[in-house]
Amino acid sequence: MLTEREIISTLEMLENEHLDVRTVTLGISLIDCVGHNLETLKNNIYRKITQTAKKLVQTCDEIGEKFGIPVVNKRIAVSPVAIIGAAFSSSELVRVAHTMNRAAADVGVDFIGGFTALVEKGIARGDRALIESIPHALAETDRVCASVNVASTKAGINMDAVYLMGKTIKEAASLSADRDGIACAKLCVFANIPQDIPFMAGAYLGIGESDAVINVGVSGPGVVKNAIDRALKADSALDLGQISEIIKTTAYKVTKVGELIGREVAESLNIKFGVVDLSLAPTPNVGDSVGEIFQSLGLKSIGVPGTTAALALLNDAVKKGGAFASSNVGGLSGAFIPVSEDLNISEAVAAGYLSLEKLEAITSVCSVGLDMVAIPGDTSAETIAAIIADEMAIGVINRKTTATRLIPVPGKKAGDSAYFGGLLGQSVIMSVNNGLGDNRFIRQGGLIPAPIHSLNN
Amino acid sequence: MKKVIISVLGHDRPGILAATTQVLYEQGCNLENVSQTILQSEFAGVFIASMPDDLTVEKLNQQLENALGALNLYVFAKPVRVDIPIYDAPGSEPFVITTRGPDRKGLVAGITSVIARFGVNVTNLSAVFKGGDDPNQNIMIYEVDIPWRIDQKTFQKELREKATHLGLDISIQHRKIFEAINRI
Repeated sequence: MLTEREIISTLEMLENEHLDVRTVTLGISLIDCVGHNLETLKNNIYRKITQTAKKLVQTCDEIGEKFGIPVVNKRIAVSPVAIIGAAFSSSELVRVAHTMNRAAADVGVDFIGGFTALVEKGIARGDRALIESIPHALAETDRVCASVNVASTKAGINMDAVYLMGKTIKEAASLSADRDGIACAKLCVFANIPQDIPFMAGAYLGIGESDAVINVGVSGPGVVKNAIDRALKADSALDLGQISEIIKTTAYKVTKVGELIGREVAESLNIKFGVVDLSLAPTPNVGDSVGEIFQSLGLKSIGVPGTTAALALLNDAVKKGGAFASSNVGGLSGAFIPVSEDLNISEAVAAGYLSLEKLEAITSVCSVGLDMVAIPGDTSAETIAAIIADEMAIGVINRKTTATRLIPVPGKKAGDSAYFGGLLGQSVIMSVNNGLGDNRFIRQGGLIPAPIHSLNN
Repeated sequence: MKKVIISVLGHDRPGILAATTQVLYEQGCNLENVSQTILQSEFAGVFIASMPDDLTVEKLNQQLENALGALNLYVFAKPVRVDIPIYDAPGSEPFVITTRGPDRKGLVAGITSVIARFGVNVTNLSAVFKGGDDPNQNIMIYEVDIPWRIDQKTFQKELREKATHLGLDISIQHRKIFEAINRI
């Protein structure tokens, strides 16, 4: 028998605190789609995706209804296209992106990830073709997401790839200049990319994964914020250790929901269940924000002194709760701070509380990195690459995943607003230090070696 | 072995369970199940016990009335029929139906009429109607077993229509979600 309190508190989380499953992402291996000519490859890819994902959306909706928990997004992640399409040119890979886009549309998913290259140590021919195809692929499609892993703790930072990504981002922005450079909102540059991220734009299916797998991304910033607010209302003298305990317990509940839904979907589709990614993923809605949690913790805004410590507390408590709730935790698993996708964070930028430098600092204690950051359109490729290099260094040295999703908004300058729409949100454009200036460090290229794993200071 | 089921009702106070079970003990009965609840100020208890062959239900009733009547409690014992087959529940899944909304007459009757019409069995119901604006003060929670064989969509649709008609917000969710969130 359930208690009245158990039922009422669950309903509160669902109805008033935006508890939902942010994404169920079906990973599909395309390794067996490889063909010697482009048409064969495209046909194989289309057939594999549409057959495997035929019932994904319907099943997620049915299971969401059964449990009263909406599955907000249903998505697909595929094997790295740089490997699948290694034999093809960049213009041919753009056509592969169109095929992926069509397959995604036909099965009703809003994003498909896996237009991906893994180049942390070196750039193979297929990788270069894929990276060169990214601007057109993303500007000409709506649903395809790309990611490029340019660094890892084991390999170091491939600075040639970093510079190449700076140029690629500039070109992608200019090709979608009429939509504030939205192509860049579908492109992540990673260090230590996990193979099982369910969240976009970084989702792809690692080559060490099975043929098909269901990964789940939970949500819950609103639930965490409300739990903190409720506890402090009952006892305003709670110390940070006690608040951390409350966040941990809440993360436990949120993760359990994600795993339950993920396993049900996987069982129903007869596909292996992979991981729960227990990231706190915000949306541009009020009450569904990671930024608001900082205010609940007592800070004036995200970005003011104290932010890094508060985020460290939050991120660690979320991980502890999630790890206890599920033995299958993976992906990014931490708090996201995507600027344009979180109303409160974009407001903190507008009010001058949050700068690019502070944002970079706090990414050292959370996932994922400089996410959905709009910067002036005239920022040079070298400077963009340098921002990427800094973020990669944080990931490589700290043995964690970091990423950038930078959008140089064409024709706009710091302080202007950029609009991406929907879940991608909107943001004030952040100013960039030495945005146009020379950067010989980046042009030097080569590999920044992998870090030493002793003498930890 | 004969079995008896006993219900005890009355204003709640200390000593009701002690008085009831003392009689059962003195009459040689062995308790098998007990469930009690308190609604507002009223106690309600149900007891199932096995009884010795030489004890009649009439005599037990008399003994219980003598002991509990003094406490202003109403008691009734009746034999448990073992010759009637137990209700054979069809294959089903456990759901929780929750309604919230302003109090008025006929809410439980309205909702249960739909539940019963579809052959859905209520395994637990708790309802509180205290009036006022707080939705949590006017709530019905039905734990039900929804048979696989019935048309789930039509059942849910009719239940939602009935709730709307009664001015209630309703949610219908699989029981597992509450267990997942609240229990280790």
